[in-house]
Amino acid sequence: MPISILTYIFCAPLLAALALVVVPRNYRVIIRFIALLGTFVSMVLAIKMFCQFVPGHDGFQFEQQIPWVNSLGISYHVGVDGLNVGLILMGAIVAFAAACCSWEIQTREKEFYILLLIMSGGILGAFASLDLFFFYALHEFALVPTFIMIGIWGRGERKNYATFQITIYLSIGALIALIGLIALYLQSGANTFDIPKIIEHVKANPIATNAQNFIFPLLLFGFGILVSLWPFHSWAPLGYGSAPAPTAMIHAGILKKFGLYGLTRIALPLMPQAAHHWMTILAWLCLGNILYVGWVAMRQRDLNLLIGNSSVAHMGFIFLGIASLNLIGITGAVFIMVAHGFLAALTFGLSGYIYQKTGTLEMSELGGLCRKLRFIGTALLMAAMAGCGLPGFANFVGEVSVFFASWTVFPVVTILAVWGALVIGGIYMTRAVRKILHGPLPEKYANVADATNVWRKLPYALLLASLFVFGCFPKLLTNQITPDATKIVSMTTLITAKPNMVAVSEIQSPKSENRN
Amino acid sequence: MKHELFPWLILFLPIFAAATITLFTLRSRCCSAFLSIGAIVAGFILSILFIHANGIHFAGEISKTWLSIGNLQIDFGLKLDALSMMMLLIVTGVGGAIHIYSVGYMHEDAGFSRFFAKLSLFTFSMLGIVLANNFIEMFIFWELVGVSSYLLIGFWFEKPSAGDAAKKAFIVNRLGDFGFLLGILMIWGILGSLNFAALQNSITANPVALGTAATIAGLLIFCGAVGKSAQFPLHVWLPDAMEGPTPVSALIHAATMVAAGVYMLCRIFFLLNADALHVIAYIGGFTALLAALIAVQQNDIKRIIAYSTLSQLGYMVMAVGLNGPTAAMFHLTTHAFFKALLFLAAGSVIIGMHHEQDIWHMGNLRKKMPITFWTFLIGALALSGIPPFAGFYSKDSILAQCLEQKNYLLFGVAIFIAGLTAFYTFRLFFVVFTGKEKTDHAKHAHESPLVMTLPLVVLAVFAAVGGFIGITNNYGSQFVADHETLSVAQQFLEPLHTPVPMLIGIGVALIGIFIAFSLYKNATSDPLPAKLGGLATAMKNKFYFDELYEATFVRAHDFIAAVMDWIDRWLLEGFSIGLVRGGTDLTGRALRLLQTGNLQTYAFLFVLGMAVVLWLVLK
Repeated sequence: MPISILTYIFCAPLLAALALVVVPRNYRVIIRFIALLGTFVSMVLAIKMFCQFVPGHDGFQFEQQIPWVNSLGISYHVGVDGLNVGLILMGAIVAFAAACCSWEIQTREKEFYILLLIMSGGILGAFASLDLFFFYALHEFALVPTFIMIGIWGRGERKNYATFQITIYLSIGALIALIGLIALYLQSGANTFDIPKIIEHVKANPIATNAQNFIFPLLLFGFGILVSLWPFHSWAPLGYGSAPAPTAMIHAGILKKFGLYGLTRIALPLMPQAAHHWMTILAWLCLGNILYVGWVAMRQRDLNLLIGNSSVAHMGFIFLGIASLNLIGITGAVFIMVAHGFLAALTFGLSGYIYQKTGTLEMSELGGLCRKLRFIGTALLMAAMAGCGLPGFANFVGEVSVFFASWTVFPVVTILAVWGALVIGGIYMTRAVRKILHGPLPEKYANVADATNVWRKLPYALLLASLFVFGCFPKLLTNQITPDATKIVSMTTLITAKPNMVAVSEIQSPKSENRN
Repeated sequence: MKHELFPWLILFLPIFAAATITLFTLRSRCCSAFLSIGAIVAGFILSILFIHANGIHFAGEISKTWLSIGNLQIDFGLKLDALSMMMLLIVTGVGGAIHIYSVGYMHEDAGFSRFFAKLSLFTFSMLGIVLANNFIEMFIFWELVGVSSYLLIGFWFEKPSAGDAAKKAFIVNRLGDFGFLLGILMIWGILGSLNFAALQNSITANPVALGTAATIAGLLIFCGAVGKSAQFPLHVWLPDAMEGPTPVSALIHAATMVAAGVYMLCRIFFLLNADALHVIAYIGGFTALLAALIAVQQNDIKRIIAYSTLSQLGYMVMAVGLNGPTAAMFHLTTHAFFKALLFLAAGSVIIGMHHEQDIWHMGNLRKKMPITFWTFLIGALALSGIPPFAGFYSKDSILAQCLEQKNYLLFGVAIFIAGLTAFYTFRLFFVVFTGKEKTDHAKHAHESPLVMTLPLVVLAVFAAVGGFIGITNNYGSQFVADHETLSVAQQFLEPLHTPVPMLIGIGVALIGIFIAFSLYKNATSDPLPAKLGGLATAMKNKFYFDELYEATFVRAHDFIAAVMDWIDRWLLEGFSIGLVRGGTDLTGRALRLLQTGNLQTYAFLFVLGMAVVLWLVLK
């Protein structure tokens, strides 16, 4: 079997990281060039893959499978369908933008770029993987550099505390999810880590209801912690506030989507009964994200904490889409995952620029920056507008579809969520714009320099353009998502409609259940 | 449909201009102005050609799928009927005049190109609302006009007041949009469609299709109009919006965008049931009264006109609520002419006065600014409802509508407002244009250049004759099946059919003008506060609505936010992290007790372990 384009997409950054190991640390230009090249190749290939993708194609595309540990059923298996094609495209673009924004790093550049490339490559690999083992392991591979980067290159007084907190939360979240995945492996009885095979197997032999009720919450909350589901969100704003901009871009943009992707790809189709059971609770929890964290965002005085909180609030819309468990909701949720990736990367990139130039993100210290920072200011204004759901940007499409989806299922939650999206979001975003960009310019910033050369503008322009393209032509993405979202929705509805299969026993040996 | 391409061009030329200006021609003022004006004037010409080819009573729709997920179908379509085509003419026509005027008004501003880019963005968004054929498309452009208004109010963003006003306008509009979106969701949930034509068909087929939700859904949709058209209780943003440049006030906050709420109500008129209409009528009437009262005691030339806009919008909304969408659209159209005219004339005064806006610093500008004076007079007469100016006809049709619906309370209110309107308009007029010069600026005032006065003259012509050039004919066919087309002469004499409202209307207007004349002809300061006492203070302070909202809505949100922030900081973060940290710490301490370094303890534990193992094995 030829090597899949997906393998190239996620290996390009990893190979670049490997190459960096042998470059002497004072060859700064070369280090930066290699990092940019690695992510650029990956981005170009991802765009090519996205364009070649055929919507509604049966099964996975660009598939590649190499058996590895036969006794456990682990294999290297990559492929894309509508659920992850957009995520991989978004991830590759964000990774390139983050590498572009890394010029702000002045110390230990070599190590920084190596970690950045590992993060990008790892998470792209996790999204491409169709094998539970690689899916999980590659995410962990990408996650660990986050902690190191915040600890070493982070900023602010609370840097150490932030590192401490994010490490604890995310490790625990990942651990809970791991327990859930192992339990799932054992309970499915398919004796394989291969996700499509497990799904096929479970279609014929549903997992026992009581096992589902035990595993589903493990995955929901394990993945939920990784996505900052309320009330397990407090790591996110502080962590992002202390992280160097490129790290925040990649983590908030791409890594955070891992948990959501895991929920839609694995938890929903494999455990439909439990999913139905838990969705009402999830719908109310997501209000915690949308309303509660929205209000918290209103109180922030630091721009990065505000963006961090608003990014947590946006996760609420995705959860709401998932909770409504219908075609529109799942499609909307996947759409926001992609849109939010671009948006989060854009806002953190811009705040990183402002921090770099002014040395502070305290909003009361800033003001009138639109006069000096024409390009950056305009981009930040657009990002703020996209963040409060302005049509024309991709987030609007996703949010509005989620509202349509959840209206039929959870009307009360939807009303409150619309309030959160339109009013609370509007308040904190316009307040931030008023404080940072409008008003008189403090004298100390009279010499702040705007991004003038193409390289500085490129990452922001690229992310804005992506938001525009998917915001104005949403069919580009929804056409690809819907066929596969339909499959997931049909699995959750069909199986629940059937009478429950009798569970053989509480704990089954995977060997004895293997019918193949 | 002939010339199917034209409507697309009309819609997309302005956004093309806005994008080109932003990306390429920010440095070239000339190119920017040319692109922006070119786009809207071309839109005007294309609209005329399109209407000429298809006829005004033509009705059609062009539609492309924008988003389709399962049973959620959102089109991007253009709805072309008398209603939208008339609005096309208003937006591109009045808008075009204002674009040209802006060249003169913004001449010395450093952000000249930026201004035109934003103006074109606005034009695009407004045309989108006009042409939308379904709810979500309308909502999209609804939000986009909101953001263009935000950008233009905050155009001079370095002024803190401009930044605050922009923020306020955006948030208050968002409050209205909250209801609007919920209304859309509700209607989609029940009827399963978003397309206006499809919805109208299902309502016609089954008038009770919406069931008990009909009133709620109608009122939720109305919320959108309340926000955009600045009706009570969301009226507070519009006066502050005058922080923007004057052409913006004329185009967005008088002639077009704020009228979008009324337009939307007429577009979805079929959805509104009697109960909803009732509420709409009273909200409109109340807003009209409130704003007219406030206008009496304002001293900023733009704010007075802004409150009169509020008041006239209330009139239109009331007309819709009284089952008279034709009258509402008629007034919307004439109002667009004379209110844009008044604002532009005010802008000309402001420029002539070197950016002075307090009317008590002006005076006797009649001689120094003759064109501005005469055009302003025409606008003021039209606004006051003096025949044969445009405002007279449209206002008369609303008054007649009140009587036809036998709503005598609202008729009385409307009559009172008509008198007040004439009074405050001519208060402004006499203080600014007659009497003595009150400052040196007024003595050295000068007439504005041709590029500014020409649009004034054009608008003045329409404000003068707009009442009988066939506007009602065009709208009538939209809402009344057997509408008869009237000739110009018939229209000219149309108010005679209902002499009672006509005579009362003219009467109160003349009384209002007379009182204004006697009080303000030669006044150097306002005599009213002494006469009205506390009421005047309340009027001057806008009946304290800003303070009220500050104390309730804003405070409540800030308070909740503070509580949530505290919980977040101390309970969630502190507690959970504390738990993990404390738990680990405690376990560590407990385990440390075992590791004493004392050989006897280890030996004892070793023996104990042996004993346990032996006991387990031998048991």
